Amino acid sequence: MRARAGVLAVLSVILALGLVWAAHRRPVAMPVVPRAPGHCVLPTAVMLRTHMMLLRSVREEIVRHDARDTRFRLTGCVACHVEHTASGQPIPVNAPGQFCATCHTYVGVHLDCFACHAAVPETPGKFGGLRGQGAVQAAFRIPRALRGRFGASGAGGGR
Amino acid sequence: MNDKERDEPSRDGAEIEEGPDSVRRGLLKMAGAVAALTLAPGVTVFARDLVLKGQHKAKGPVRYGLLIDARACKTGCDACVRACQDYNGLSHDPGPDNAQWIRKVTITDEKTGFTRSFPMMCQHCAHGACVDVCPTGASFRRPDGIVLVDKHRCIGCRYCLMACPYKARSFVGRVVKDQRPWAPRGKGTAEGCTMCVERVEAGKLPACVAACQKAGHKAMMFGNLHDPKSAIAVRLSEVATTTIRADLGMAPGVHYRGI
Ligand code: SF4
Ligand code: SF4
Repeated sequence: MRARAGVLAVLSVILALGLVWAAHRRPVAMPVVPRAPGHCVLPTAVMLRTHMMLLRSVREEIVRHDARDTRFRLTGCVACHVEHTASGQPIPVNAPGQFCATCHTYVGVHLDCFACHAAVPETPGKFGGLRGQGAVQAAFRIPRALRGRFGASGAGGGR
Repeated sequence: MNDKERDEPSRDGAEIEEGPDSVRRGLLKMAGAVAALTLAPGVTVFARDLVLKGQHKAKGPVRYGLLIDARACKTGCDACVRACQDYNGLSHDPGPDNAQWIRKVTITDEKTGFTRSFPMMCQHCAHGACVDVCPTGASFRRPDGIVLVDKHRCIGCRYCLMACPYKARSFVGRVVKDQRPWAPRGKGTAEGCTMCVERVEAGKLPACVAACQKAGHKAMMFGNLHDPKSAIAVRLSEVATTTIRADLGMAPGVHYRGI
């Protein structure tokens, strides 16, 4: 009888400690995603949920059906969302803390795109690329006339 | 040119275009439908329209090809090879595990000593063995005749490396860094000359052709073989040219003069 009471006491102490720990434990912080200038091609809420499907269907279009004029291009994503060091060097978007890596680390989804694709935009004028970075960014912005369609939040709030 | 009858415009795109088209629409509908779940009705339509705008713009029969004048090609010059490597982010080092999209070849007639030097790359065959053997559909021929590896589908089986009689395919066996944004490439996939497809779509010459012109040799010519008015088609109709190993019946899109 006494032994049982002892076990009960120990268990309730453990339970109490657990409750105290749980009360002090803060939820995992939401990732802080670096913001890009300008407007995204679709609202942030849509991009958050569908960017993988968009990229997947558009990659068929681009690689197999010659449809490079679509605005949903990975190169466009990279051109807008790349951050630069103080000295102006582009930081790969899949580097820790950068645009792609931040969310993908948070949700624990492996990011495979940049095993093949460049994670920094083209350096203007280097190796005879077709367009400078500015031109690529401009090409993927939503036309001014269409921006109002996304309501007060703007077209994705530039995320 | 004995492959002429196998290389008609009707065989060149039509059948290839039809099948995947409906598949593609299905994919697009899927993307649209997913957007529909997350959006107000007005915005849904907009999102889908944006995707569908990306249509390819074939006007008339197109088959891109090259004409290489081996008489004008200089022994020892590798301007085209360098230009390809620089533009597409390939290594200059000719090591055994480095990809090679274009290379200079020297042939010698042993009896007479006659020697020619010229570039070889993917011949962008109308009936390429690479397309035939590929188990995943990754090796494919675009409606405009350019043969590519869809690296999203490639499983790295290397059948195409074995099958291609022109040794035009390479396998990427190591992690690749510093890719060009326009030339994604990575470990575990096969690759070959893309005819600089994104330059061609933008109305520019492939990097090798541009470099050859810049070097002043003008040994390479690029254009639409199916447009009778294009400079390359006119030249092909005027002078004697050949395709390499035409006997294999794969109808290469790269023609040679003077070999
Ligand atoms: S040259 Fe080789 S890789 Fe190129 S299309 Fe012909 S068979 Fe395929
Ligand atoms: S290596 Fe890739 S492209 Fe070549 S046959 Fe295999 S799956 Fe097809």
